[in-house]
Amino acid sequence: MSVDKKSLTKKINVLIAIVAVIFVVLAGRVAHLQLLETERYQTLARENSLRLITISAPRGEIYDRNGRKLVGNRPLYTVSLVNLGQDRGELEPVVERLAAILDRTPGEIWEAVDNQSPRRYEPIRLARDVSLDIVSRIEEAQLELPGVLIDFEPMREYPYGNLLAHALGYIREIRPDQLARHRADGYRLGDVFGQAGLENARERELRGIPGARQIEVDVAGRPVRSLGVKNPVPGHDLALTIDFEVQRAAEEALARIVKNLQNEGHRDCRAASAAVIDVRSGAVLALASHPAYGPAVFARALSAEQARTLFTSPERPFLNRAIQSTYPPGSVFKMVVAAAALEGGIIDRRFTVTDPGYFVHQRQRYGCLGVHGRVDVVQGIQVSCNTFFLTTGLRTGPANISRMAREFGLGEKSGFELAGEAAGVVPTAEYKRGMVQAELDRRFGPQFEAIEEHYRSQLPGASEARRDELKREWEREKAKIQAQYDRYAWDLQWRDYDTLNLSIGQGLSHYTPLQLAGYAGAIANGGYLYRPYMVQRVTGPDGRVVKEAVPELRRKVSISPETLDILREGMRLVNQPGGTAYGSFFDFPVASAGKTGTAEVWGRENHGLYVAFAPFEEPEIAVAVVVEHGGSGSRAAAPVARAIMNAYFGFLT
Amino acid sequence: MGQISRHRRVLKNLDYTLILAAMAVVGLGLVTVTSAIQVTSLPGGAGIGFLWKQILGIVLGMTAFVFFLFWRYEELSRYARLLYAVSLVLLLAVLAVGHSAPGGAQQWLRFGPLMFQPSEFAKLAVIIGLAVLLSEREGQLNRFRDLLPAFVYVGVPMALILAQPDLGTALVFIAITLGMLFVAGANPLLLGGLTLAGLSGVVLWIWAHLNHGLWIPLKSYQITRLTIFLDPWSDWQKDGFQIIQSQIAIGAGGLWGRGLFSGTQNQLNFLPEQHTDFIFSVLAEELGFVGAVSLLALFFIILYRGLRIAGQSKDLTGTLMATGVVSMLAFHVLITVGMTTGIMPVIGITLPLFSYGPSSMVLTLAALGLLGNVWVRRQTIVF
Repeated sequence: MSVDKKSLTKKINVLIAIVAVIFVVLAGRVAHLQLLETERYQTLARENSLRLITISAPRGEIYDRNGRKLVGNRPLYTVSLVNLGQDRGELEPVVERLAAILDRTPGEIWEAVDNQSPRRYEPIRLARDVSLDIVSRIEEAQLELPGVLIDFEPMREYPYGNLLAHALGYIREIRPDQLARHRADGYRLGDVFGQAGLENARERELRGIPGARQIEVDVAGRPVRSLGVKNPVPGHDLALTIDFEVQRAAEEALARIVKNLQNEGHRDCRAASAAVIDVRSGAVLALASHPAYGPAVFARALSAEQARTLFTSPERPFLNRAIQSTYPPGSVFKMVVAAAALEGGIIDRRFTVTDPGYFVHQRQRYGCLGVHGRVDVVQGIQVSCNTFFLTTGLRTGPANISRMAREFGLGEKSGFELAGEAAGVVPTAEYKRGMVQAELDRRFGPQFEAIEEHYRSQLPGASEARRDELKREWEREKAKIQAQYDRYAWDLQWRDYDTLNLSIGQGLSHYTPLQLAGYAGAIANGGYLYRPYMVQRVTGPDGRVVKEAVPELRRKVSISPETLDILREGMRLVNQPGGTAYGSFFDFPVASAGKTGTAEVWGRENHGLYVAFAPFEEPEIAVAVVVEHGGSGSRAAAPVARAIMNAYFGFLT
Repeated sequence: MGQISRHRRVLKNLDYTLILAAMAVVGLGLVTVTSAIQVTSLPGGAGIGFLWKQILGIVLGMTAFVFFLFWRYEELSRYARLLYAVSLVLLLAVLAVGHSAPGGAQQWLRFGPLMFQPSEFAKLAVIIGLAVLLSEREGQLNRFRDLLPAFVYVGVPMALILAQPDLGTALVFIAITLGMLFVAGANPLLLGGLTLAGLSGVVLWIWAHLNHGLWIPLKSYQITRLTIFLDPWSDWQKDGFQIIQSQIAIGAGGLWGRGLFSGTQNQLNFLPEQHTDFIFSVLAEELGFVGAVSLLALFFIILYRGLRIAGQSKDLTGTLMATGVVSMLAFHVLITVGMTTGIMPVIGITLPLFSYGPSSMVLTLAALGLLGNVWVRRQTIVF
């Protein structure tokens, strides 16, 4: 028994040891998880149960100068179905009822249900952007529709459709490249981002600060409780300098004139644009480009057809022609020539030219619009006498004219706040050389190369005698092409006819409508060139004004008041009997001034241009209108300016 | 008069350390189960029902404890065959008319309003029966042949339980048998060899099944549960989900825990089977390392005292009974804690005295009664 007892004690001790080892292992494992790796597991537990749901901030709204809302927000309602664990039989009445409300067949809803994740508690989106009527019908029937949810997200709303579309721009889901650039600002995939116009230029202010709701969810993803809400901060509102009435009048007039001209047989006339500025500040009152697009189309997914029309249309509806397109100014440019000549002392107020209906220089005949007889500078502007300005321009010289053009802000970016503004071109000798050289290279480069290659390949295999013959032949061929080249290369130099073209605004000159409006404005206001702007005020969500625009003077055009008076007098007479725009302004009650222009387009119909300002005595606004391939300035562009002025001065049309 | 004094003597000789430790486990368990069931995925007020059933289990268990404490084990031994026979009948009845847990094995018998797990009863019956059987064969357990009767004796109820299929409880029988055979004097080398051979055989079989499609008497979900702990992230959404969530719960508990009723893994239902198989994770999450190690310490006290009882029993039968009880409890703790911490296969057995399960509670307390029984009667002279 004692031996047994001893061996028993031994065995029991073995068992105690085994149990002890088991417990050391278990306690060690628990210590490993709870003491060494606890942080990792705490994170995992948090990730399990915490969800951050972003609450998107309402984007800032955009108003015109009189507080009329141009871009707003509206809630976009989405209907989803959450499977609360019902089986098909239990879902049947819900789906049928919902189908009736959404005006769809139950089959369509079943399809959506079956196509999407079958996981419980995961909402299945059935309809996006449903009407308020449907929302209220679903809410009334909520008890019979278990699992049917209505969510809403703020969505851009455009009360006036296409109005000011180009300047306003549009928003869309952020692109990957934009996301990469702006990730530091807290953007995430799926956020909206201003893609063009003010929406893009003022993205930072319009965006607001998204809020978030932290919720705790259970294993099925069901929200259990809300842990806290950080409210979103709405974006800043913009008050524009745009005048709704003027803008609408401009857009309607552009659309009307394009349609009318097309009906009259001006086939190429499809696009037009206008810029209206306040000459006292540079504030933009209207900026219109035709054709336009509806920014609202981006609120929902574009159909392939819509996308194709928008992006590939030859009319390029996305182009903001008022600032992104440049046009030869035609006779609208004549005030620059007059100013350069008067300021340079080349001519004076009394200087006259006799116009026989044409102008001859270096045996080249340049036609005029009519036989104007003796014209001085004021009459020259009034009747747009080419002979007068060709004569004057030739005497003034290209350097003086170009310098004056630049003084008026032509050929340089105005510093307007929208992206993509074109600079335009004031032609110079170097500019011309570059253009012509490129053209020559394009035309003759391949010919020279072809000859070179032809003879180089023949030479090695030829006999001595034949080789000399080939070399001579080669020289002859080269000389032939060279002769052609030289004939055109003559044009590499700035020639007198370039000066003549410059003097009447044809040829290589190219300016944007906004530049032309600024130019007219500077003539009107005594030579002050302002930076154009269109955001007058930025207002925070609390109503506090964050930013107020102040007019920014770019330069005082170096031109004497006397010269300006002469230019203005000429422009006033343009709208008077005998002037080229009298037809559009004969019954206009406000004294106004303008200048028509017709820009020659090689091989197609001419562009019609018109710049104007009013009232004559105390100028307030300047207008520039361009109607592409509209034929003439007086017939195509002046009527648009008249419609704009009617709207500005409040005359009913 | 003598009866009363005998009872007083029993009470005076009780191992109060063990009893206090057991009471502490039961108390801590009840609190933890309360936390686990108030969020259990079962609908409505079912949670409270669980609590009442558990309390009923404790009350019945204390009755069973007293019963097995006072009924002298020497007398009890005489009914070993009867208990064994009854448990076989009950196990057969389970297979015939038993009830199953949702998606689980068929392991319950209904007695009026009560459900009862005969496999729990069978464990105690086998401990008592095997103790009697082995003490009769003392000193004759050196050869493999000698062990066969014991294997057959245990093997029959085990096979019936496997057929439910309840792999976990069946494995408990192996642990019980090994422990008791070792103490009964079976050749330790033979036992060790058999264990090793058995383990490697099973591993090899499963390996061959997974890689070469060898037939195996297990359903594929059972195999997955046995092997997934090796790499739970390989299928973290489905098969590995339980173990990962359990480890997250335990790890997130940290030193002091996240507070009773405040563990998100438990309260938000990320923990599966949190009131039964994964109750240890609930404790570890909400009461932290301190709570978890306290529970382990309590269990160690119980097992240590149990082995001391085995060592000081007046006869081999008592020693073997105590050893059987200790082996059973040790295996349960090893498996449940090991499983929830990710170092053991997923085998669904209870954490004795702690997890929800009235049948297990009653039988565990009865087994502790048996331990006390052996302890109070350790000195022959006393009676």
